Amino acid sequence: MDLAFNDEQRVLHDAIVQIVTPHMDIPRSGPTVKPVEFMYADRLDHELAEGEFFSIALIDGCGLLEAAMLVYETARAPLVIEAAGSALIGALLTGEALPRPVAVARMEDLPRAVRFLDRARTLIVDMGDDVAIVSTDGLPIAPVHTMFAYPMGRVLEKVDLSGSRRLGPSAVPRLRHLCRLAIALETAGAMQSAIDFTTQYVKDRRVFGRPVGSFQAVQHRLAADLQKARGCYWLAMRAAWSDVPADAEIATLYAQRAIKAVNYDTHQFNGALGMTLEHALHFWTFRLRILQGELGGARAQATTLAETMWGDPSSVPVPVSR
Amino acid sequence: MDFGWTTSDDAYRAELVSFLTQELPNNWWDSFAYDGPSGPELMNNAGSFNRKLAQKDLIVRHWPQAYGGQDAGAWKQIIVSEEMWSRGEPRSSLYLGANWAGPAIMKFGTEAQKHRFLRPIADGEVLWCQGFSEPEAGTDLANMKTRAEPDGDGYVINGSKVWTSYAARADTMFLLARVGATGKGGVSCFILPVDAAGITVRPIPAIHSPHDFNEVFFTDVRVPADARLGEEGQGWDIVTTILHYERIGAARYEFSRRTLDHIVTHLKARGLFDDPAIRGECSKALAEVEAARLLTYVVIDGRAKNLPPSADTYVARYSMIQADHAVANLSSTYLPDLLTHDGDGMLRAHFTAAITAGIAAGAAEVQLNMISGRYLGLPHGA
Ligand SMILES: Cc1cc2nc3c(=O)[nH]c(=O)nc-3n(C[C@H](O)[C@H](O)[C@H](O)COP(=O)(O)OP(=O)(O)OC[C@H]3O[C@@H](n4cnc5c(N)ncnc54)[C@H](O)[C@@H]3O)c2cc1C
Repeated sequence: MDLAFNDEQRVLHDAIVQIVTPHMDIPRSGPTVKPVEFMYADRLDHELAEGEFFSIALIDGCGLLEAAMLVYETARAPLVIEAAGSALIGALLTGEALPRPVAVARMEDLPRAVRFLDRARTLIVDMGDDVAIVSTDGLPIAPVHTMFAYPMGRVLEKVDLSGSRRLGPSAVPRLRHLCRLAIALETAGAMQSAIDFTTQYVKDRRVFGRPVGSFQAVQHRLAADLQKARGCYWLAMRAAWSDVPADAEIATLYAQRAIKAVNYDTHQFNGALGMTLEHALHFWTFRLRILQGELGGARAQATTLAETMWGDPSSVPVPVSR
Repeated sequence: MDFGWTTSDDAYRAELVSFLTQELPNNWWDSFAYDGPSGPELMNNAGSFNRKLAQKDLIVRHWPQAYGGQDAGAWKQIIVSEEMWSRGEPRSSLYLGANWAGPAIMKFGTEAQKHRFLRPIADGEVLWCQGFSEPEAGTDLANMKTRAEPDGDGYVINGSKVWTSYAARADTMFLLARVGATGKGGVSCFILPVDAAGITVRPIPAIHSPHDFNEVFFTDVRVPADARLGEEGQGWDIVTTILHYERIGAARYEFSRRTLDHIVTHLKARGLFDDPAIRGECSKALAEVEAARLLTYVVIDGRAKNLPPSADTYVARYSMIQADHAVANLSSTYLPDLLTHDGDGMLRAHFTAAITAGIAAGAAEVQLNMISGRYLGLPHGA
């Protein structure tokens, strides 16, 4: 076992971080923060596209782990870009660099708000028994204004996918597996940044003549949140390394469960300022809010995982110890 | 980044598993291990078990060659811990010697002390106990009062220790006693036989075990100067450097993982696993366990690379506590009848170990304090 990146991975990781870091550096609090629910990082998107980072998984010697790095690191930025749909899900599902941005949705969710659908050029649809790859050209799509820190869109009329490209039934579990990984990685990244941001805030903000972060009631909850965030990261990276469904189910279940405490605590500790659009916290926490329920949320992951791990409820009847 | 075991790791685990399968009796859980590693049946069995383990050279392979090991390293050590702890730790408290007392002696001991103490650990001959906590010094360990007064060419020890696991049946104690000054600077380490004249051991029955806890009284216990490890006043440094890893030395997540599978087997047999809510709870416990596993592996990875100890250890320990409790709560919620004395030995051993996880080896809240200060850099509280 070696949990550090190898030389090639380190070079790639450094390159990603070098591109992403300047985009982390936006005004974080006060009237200079643009008061919007989300900011799409057009420049970051452009730079990563120029460097062909969104097709990283398709390069010889690279794959899921490299795509995972990109998804995690971009999710840490306060500004949002579409990375998981194209670099991880689209690329590994089809073996192609699909026209991006890429949105991914279950058939039944299309009339509701779908992440990135307002600007997506490709839509990947989980039809239940098949996967469709659809160009959004000519689809009746409208942006949806939400409080969530993702751009979102919805399909206005019932769409006819009968003539669309299909990947076949075997692509369905693969798509769901990759979606789980993407959720786990995005959650891990956004969560870590929300905690970092809050940690700095409670060091700076003083009440009763001392920093908020000097109260043990605050410290313990942030420390427990940090443990959860680190758990999310490592579970997600292991799942990306192994590409095993159970690992991705574990990572997503853990991540979606962790969101509740981390979101509550980080908002509590930022006080009213954290509710304003002039304070960057919501750029991460309101992404977490929507990730919390994706693919049916923790309950659905838990059900799937139980099936994967322990099979049919009555499959092993005799306890071994007595 | 590589989360896989090497072929050599796999071979080592296979060797251990084959030894354990052969050596542990069929009624292991219900007749030996149900009361944890300090239970009398397990401790009595540990003598012959450990000597056989030594014959196969399976006790100190992770030690440096100079001290009888094979430099097998940190990953091999955690494999041993996973296989042993998940079987209720059949070595009993030999593991204290192999994991940290031995390495402390290598680092701080004289040549004579190395000669005297290391071989018996490698040979599986001694069971250790750890005399740190006192009635007024648990978390606040530096408040300990037990004194070692210099006297001629040795020391005379007076005071008492409490919650001392294994003491009723151990051979050797790693003791902290105060020579001179108050506070951390006055703490020194001593290694002495538990049957030394002037030591009395009073067992304290506890909810998790009738045999684990003891109170140990020292009345004019005379020890030679070479019972002291390191310099006078160096005890705090020794304990904080060497014991850092001990917070995660027992692979609790592995025991929880295997117990969880065992719980599922019982739930299925009773038809309870048909309930999707219960299946979901098992999955959630599994996710906690796997997080604890990986966070522990992060610490082991640093150790394997000789990186200085970091705050990752407290993160891992806190995660282990969550995982242990998640699994233990499944036992007590759905299978309480199996936690009775004639219930299921494995479930009982796991449950009783799990409920102490947030107190032993530093309270959960202390782990959070350490994460706050050392990882997050939050300012000291009032
Ligand atoms: C199963 C088991 C085996 C043990 N074996 C040994 C052994 O072999 N040898 C040995 O020397 N000791 C042993 N101990 C003792 C153990 O080291 C102490 O229990 C531990 O250090 C806590 O001390 P305490 O019990 O006195 O709790 P206290 O120090 O009295 O603390 C009580 C509680 O207060 C809270 N608390 C304390 N300090 C803080 C703080 N700074 N911030 C926030 N909350 C705080 C925590 O919740 C803590 O659990 C064992 C304990 C257990 C449970």
